[in-house]
Amino acid sequence: MNCRSEVLEVTVEARQVEEAMLALLHTILLHRSTGKFHYKKEGTYSIGTVGTQDIDCDFIDFTFVRVSSEELDRMIRKAVSEFKDALSNSGSDGMGQISLEFYQKKKSRWPFSDECIPWEVWSIKVNVVNLANEQERQICREKVGEKLGEKVINVVEVINRHEYLPKMPTQSEVDNVFDTTLKDVQPYLYKITYQITDSLGTSVSTTMRRD
Amino acid sequence: MAHFDTEYQRLEASYSDSPPGEENLLMHVPEGVKSQWHHIENLDLFFQRVYNLHQKNGFTCMLLGEIFELVQLLFVVGFTVFLANCVDYDVLFANKFVNHTDSSKVTLPDAFLPVDVCSARIRNNAFVIFVLIISGVFWLHRLFKFIYNVCCYWEIRSFYINALKMTMSELPYATWQEVQARIVEIQKEHQICIHKKELTELDIYHRILRFKNYMVAMVNKSLLPVRFRLPVLGEYVFYTRGLKYNFELIFFWGPGSLFENEWSLKQEYKRGGNRLELADRLASRILWIGIANLLLCPVILVWQILYAFFSYTEVIKREPGSLGARCWSLYGRCYLRHFNELDHELMSRLSKGYKAASKYMNCFLSPLLTVVAKNVAFFAGSLLAVLIALTIYDEDVLAVEHVLSSITLLGVCITICRSFIPDKHMVFCPEQLLRVILAHIHYMPDHWQGNAHRYETRDQFSQLFQYKAVFILEELLSPVVTPIILIFCLRRKSLEIIDFFRNFTVEVVGVGDTCSFAQMDIRQHGHPAWMSEGKTEASIYQQAEDGKTELSLMHFAITNPQWQPPRETTHFISQLKERVHREATGAPSDTHPMSLSESEPRSLIANLLTGPSTLASVHFDRDISLANHAAAGINDGGSALRSLSPISSSLHLRGSLSAAHRAAGHTSRTMAGSGTDARTVSSGSSAWEGQLTSLVLSEYASTEMSIHALYMHELHKQQSRGEMSRHTWHRQESDESSDSIPDEVRSEPIPHSRNFPRSHTFPTTVPSPSAIPTSASATSSTALGQERPTAQSSSQRHHSGPTTDPFGTGVKIVRSARVPMGGWAEDGQTAQRHHEPLPEESLEDEMPPHIHKVT
Repeated sequence: MNCRSEVLEVTVEARQVEEAMLALLHTILLHRSTGKFHYKKEGTYSIGTVGTQDIDCDFIDFTFVRVSSEELDRMIRKAVSEFKDALSNSGSDGMGQISLEFYQKKKSRWPFSDECIPWEVWSIKVNVVNLANEQERQICREKVGEKLGEKVINVVEVINRHEYLPKMPTQSEVDNVFDTTLKDVQPYLYKITYQITDSLGTSVSTTMRRD
Repeated sequence: MAHFDTEYQRLEASYSDSPPGEENLLMHVPEGVKSQWHHIENLDLFFQRVYNLHQKNGFTCMLLGEIFELVQLLFVVGFTVFLANCVDYDVLFANKFVNHTDSSKVTLPDAFLPVDVCSARIRNNAFVIFVLIISGVFWLHRLFKFIYNVCCYWEIRSFYINALKMTMSELPYATWQEVQARIVEIQKEHQICIHKKELTELDIYHRILRFKNYMVAMVNKSLLPVRFRLPVLGEYVFYTRGLKYNFELIFFWGPGSLFENEWSLKQEYKRGGNRLELADRLASRILWIGIANLLLCPVILVWQILYAFFSYTEVIKREPGSLGARCWSLYGRCYLRHFNELDHELMSRLSKGYKAASKYMNCFLSPLLTVVAKNVAFFAGSLLAVLIALTIYDEDVLAVEHVLSSITLLGVCITICRSFIPDKHMVFCPEQLLRVILAHIHYMPDHWQGNAHRYETRDQFSQLFQYKAVFILEELLSPVVTPIILIFCLRRKSLEIIDFFRNFTVEVVGVGDTCSFAQMDIRQHGHPAWMSEGKTEASIYQQAEDGKTELSLMHFAITNPQWQPPRETTHFISQLKERVHREATGAPSDTHPMSLSESEPRSLIANLLTGPSTLASVHFDRDISLANHAAAGINDGGSALRSLSPISSSLHLRGSLSAAHRAAGHTSRTMAGSGTDARTVSSGSSAWEGQLTSLVLSEYASTEMSIHALYMHELHKQQSRGEMSRHTWHRQESDESSDSIPDEVRSEPIPHSRNFPRSHTFPTTVPSPSAIPTSASATSSTALGQERPTAQSSSQRHHSGPTTDPFGTGVKIVRSARVPMGGWAEDGQTAQRHHEPLPEESLEDEMPPHIHKVT
């Protein structure tokens, strides 16, 4: 409970799901990543650089910015394509939700295992629509592009609020706050989960993927 | 090279030999995680534990208590098995002689069977083995829980010591309000809760009492099946710990319960779409739990009997009268509990009312029983006297078989009889006693007032305040009755329950899903007959009964003076406080021609504050003429308050304390004036002024709450006199209660149309009893209506004290839909308030979920 949750909702065509998800997840992660920390002797650190790159979407009139880290991109892509497959396998009109959850680990005393305490959850609800003809697809292509633009601004607004963020850790604690496994970028610890909802509103399958 | 000794020296290199560019990098200093208390995941559990540790008086006390409980459990089982299998009772009863060589005395060890015989007997008895296995499993479960708890509470202990800066030794002497104030304080520094910069008292209460608030609301709306009409006993309330446990299991935390986790209701229950399906699911769950209860019934029954035997026999032997003593029933505790009232607050309130309550119940001794008891006591007494006299003459009489036991039995018999014989020198005034009780318990059905002397009232009161013996008996019966109630009564209500949780759950940012009643929002749940006329928008289905919302709000505001309620609520509170305050000071109300109607409640407080001499002059005349009656009631109230804890002294104490805190004193005020004033002043100051003050404050708070409760009941009584009496007590089904309410209670929000006969019921202003209240109601209500603005404006100065922006942190409530589904549809002015047939399933799907967002 003790975490913020933000909900974004998009309505897209089946072939746009992957790109739309990538665009939103990458946008959020762009703001929730830093360069690698290089700790110095005196307990200070410097922050490495992070490159960004523009990605053009094929099925949507949209370009988004992401951290130029192949590794990170690979992970996100994997999660998103799993989600897309689950969505298309669910049959009927697909509705689903993919969540990006930022958490921090807390060391506990002996009898308990380490806790993962989320502090921010982004839920993206997806409605998949089927379109009849090419013209509608064209319109949808533009519309979704606009919608995504709005969402990105939304995300930036939320991130610009000065709200709780985990404190910058010392060297020994860096693994509790940041994902240090990537070699070129250092996002806050996150995990991506998704669930597919059927028409009744009950969630059918919840699969979890941890990074 | 020659060495020049000059002042010129070579400069030290100011740069390190790092690759070019790196010195330009920003260097950061990590803050690290200074405290482990920031961002706690499960704040509900955390606050509950903090509260528990405070209530259990610190870690050591709690640890010892739990260890002893475990040992006790072992002892109960072990001792029972031993008594059943390893004692040779023939030896004890001297039916069998033991052949000792040296002496003829029988010793206790003689009666014990040898170990091998004993264990063989146990092994051959399947039932004993069954009991042993069950209790063993149970004990191990408790042990693991205990170990887990110790680890958790160790964390809490270090939270107290490191974060709150309170040692365990001072914890028993710190009030909860102090602890809470410190928690609010450290939130700024540690950010326990990440949603907000600041925690409010209400947030903490909401988290600790999340489920209890739901239970209170459900009892308030008569949703839970605890009231039954039995063929012989009449109306009967059955609510035991076992039943309560099962309710909580079903609703809150059992597998498949309505709640996803501690803080959120499952999504599907928030939507109205498939409520029928959900109700079916709930019904079948209740059925299964009922069946499980039925299957486990023998085990629980055996356990209950054993436990009751070992915990109560000793007490009964020591003081047989204790069975005749009374205690607040579990139902009573639920019925009387305010929203957002912590356990210790409730208990102290009820304990204060205990004496008066038992006195009241003792008024109703049956004369028939008294006659019988007197004679039985006489005969038993004469037998006992003879036996005792004989024993004194020669103690060998004791050795005669059954003499000792008859002496004991006769003694018990006389004690029981004596409890049925009233004290000759006592005079009881039931109406007055009921007032005293009301001052503490704060809730009471309307029709009790004026009927205090009746047997029905007593019977209903005994539902709240039952015999200890009955309590124990009910607990013993509970394992058998619980499954029946679950399967046959609760299951039928599943749809109503689903609707209740959907309609009355709000999502509060930073707290999670809470019962909307617990928001104590007058507008949403106020009852027009309880001072929130015109302010409330609640339908019959939405309004809390018995003025629960209003009284809870007052209670919370008084116990937590630091709390800053939302704007409208502040208005309500300050208005009420102002009125009570003005009555108390007795200030300019006489000069105010419009406030004639106020004079009556003033007498209430005037009575309370002007010594017992007024009391002596008061007649409690029993004839219920309309005019006299109210006055009598008020005088009752005044005397009720006099007999509370030493009010005047506490007022004095507070007054002097506040004088110490503030240089400029309000010395010209009357006693009550300075008291009330001091309170508001110190509530404004942000710092807590040490233990003594806070203790005094909490003591004073309970008195102040009593005054407010009496005042509100008085107003309510007068307001509803012209109307049909509302027999809320009798609402068996929640639907019935809605039917019994006359239309004018709620349908017109215009203040002028109210019946407000107060001024005419007060004998000093209108001496003629012939004045019929309803005829002049319009004028008096106008008076009240015009008076309101003055009340608000002057009240502002009390509340906007040194604290900054009183509304800055207030919560804003955005409601998406106010249409309650499955409740009573409100049909504007028409009186139709029956359970509406619900619209089509498809229609419901369209409806937005009834969730209020509180931001």
